[in-house]
Amino acid sequence: MFVAIGSPKRLSLYTISSSSHYGMDSRVELLTPEGLRVDGRRANELRKITAKTSVFSQSDGSAYIEQGNTKCLAAVYGPREVRHRMQALADRAIINVEFNVAPFSTSERKKRSKNDKRSLEVATFIRQTFEPVILTSQFPRSQIDIYLQIFQHDGGLLQSCINAATLALIDAGIPMLDYVCACSAGCIDKVPVLDLNNLEESADTPELTVAILPRTGKVNLLEMESRLHIEKLASVTELATEGCMQIHKILDDVVRKNTQHLKDRLTS
Amino acid sequence: MPIPVISPAEKSYIEQGVETDCRADGRGRLEYRHLVLETGLLSQASGSARCRLGNSDVLVGIKVEIGEIEQDQPNQGRISCNVECSPSASQQFEGRGADDLNNTLTLALERLLSGPQSGLDLDKLCIIPGQQCWVIHIDAMVMDCAGNLFDCIVMTTRAALFNTRIPKTEIQDLGDGEFEFEVMDDVEDAEAIAGWENLPMSVTLYKIGERYILDPTILEELCSQVTLTVGVNKTGQVCGVQKGGSGSVDPSLLTEMIQTATTLAGPLIQQLDAKLAEEEKNVLDKRRKGEPVQKLGFFAAVI
Repeated sequence: MFVAIGSPKRLSLYTISSSSHYGMDSRVELLTPEGLRVDGRRANELRKITAKTSVFSQSDGSAYIEQGNTKCLAAVYGPREVRHRMQALADRAIINVEFNVAPFSTSERKKRSKNDKRSLEVATFIRQTFEPVILTSQFPRSQIDIYLQIFQHDGGLLQSCINAATLALIDAGIPMLDYVCACSAGCIDKVPVLDLNNLEESADTPELTVAILPRTGKVNLLEMESRLHIEKLASVTELATEGCMQIHKILDDVVRKNTQHLKDRLTS
Repeated sequence: MPIPVISPAEKSYIEQGVETDCRADGRGRLEYRHLVLETGLLSQASGSARCRLGNSDVLVGIKVEIGEIEQDQPNQGRISCNVECSPSASQQFEGRGADDLNNTLTLALERLLSGPQSGLDLDKLCIIPGQQCWVIHIDAMVMDCAGNLFDCIVMTTRAALFNTRIPKTEIQDLGDGEFEFEVMDDVEDAEAIAGWENLPMSVTLYKIGERYILDPTILEELCSQVTLTVGVNKTGQVCGVQKGGSGSVDPSLLTEMIQTATTLAGPLIQQLDAKLAEEEKNVLDKRRKGEPVQKLGFFAAVI
């Protein structure tokens, strides 16, 4: 990426102005000495989360969650008949997850195929996260489908997917042991920070995503694919867990509000 | 997963309803369902829109990128369309179930939008003749399927194209036939797509029994044997005709259906365009006053 001399507003040659040009060259200050991050948050602050359930008519349960600028949608079908007879399990339901990122979700358009390795991996993570929580033994020989869609990618994909899936499963009335709340955390300049956005993620910040069951505090998912010093691991994980508890409160509020709305409509 | 099925009793009920001009939900034959349309929901995209027609939900995101020109049109930009039906839309779209439908809808949309019948000024999209041009990528995602998908997609695409802004470029002539261009960063300088007003709208008529209806629900779609999609622009010119379905239609009925579609499209385009202009005016007013603009997106209450 070249910066033209003399005219600060213009880029030269064939570059398109987009926020993704923060890359290898520029040193964007992710955490100022005063403790503020690029979007004005403190190190231990979550982005604003808004969510809604029952967004669609066809699916049994659906939810839409906006965490900062990341927009994620989850739709749940089930329990219903298994698509491939060979895969049916005699004693419980199978869980099928599909994860898809829209081509217009990132600043540069990128069309990913359904069999993209990253997408399949995220789908597998989510399936493993929900398998112990959903009471699958109540529905032998059936299938529960969770379809996830990302409309806007601003960091925290895995965590918003898990949170959206939780809301959608609750909306579908599928029995679960507990909420599953996920949050990401990282370490910038040796300070643990909560809920990374895309800018912070792409700047080689070590990032850890954790999903817990709030009532017991048990960890269902722990994922990190960057380097982090072992001494920092405990504090970062603890911060992420705290973030999960905050998210649990927000999700619980949304579920109760929507149920109250339904109840009001029934009794009015 | 099974394709939706319909019993003969239900089919007969719907056919009789269509005959007497009173459908299952109380509409007349040529009435649309409740329509919710919003533009500018996605900040990362160059243009976006979401439309909910009855329960059919379509989200369109448009990204404008710089690309190489096509050899047979060296002075024009181009449009590329892509329609994807999300598995959340219907039980049958799981795995590869939606592939066929995706292909059909993508090609139908491309047929309507690429070429002179779309009315867009593709010459304006050319940056350096013979080398670089703007490519408009239209990505439509069908989130919820409740009948009449194609009309919904075209409505949303029109609205998203209305909302799209193309960054301004400045070309420098280095001499020797060499050109260099710069893309302006300023959002205020970005311009709308030239020729947007001439975009056609599609009206799809579904033949049930001996009558035809507009904007069917899924069950009504299952009862129809012939569909006719007509693309009409605001001056009443026909921009494309396609017959679908697995039946045959009498030529006189065909002409009548095309006539009806052409007549219906006029007021529809007018009203939609008026609403889009009003929405944009509100947004600009709010921006000028410094008030925050709130886009509802999927939070819009539709019940």
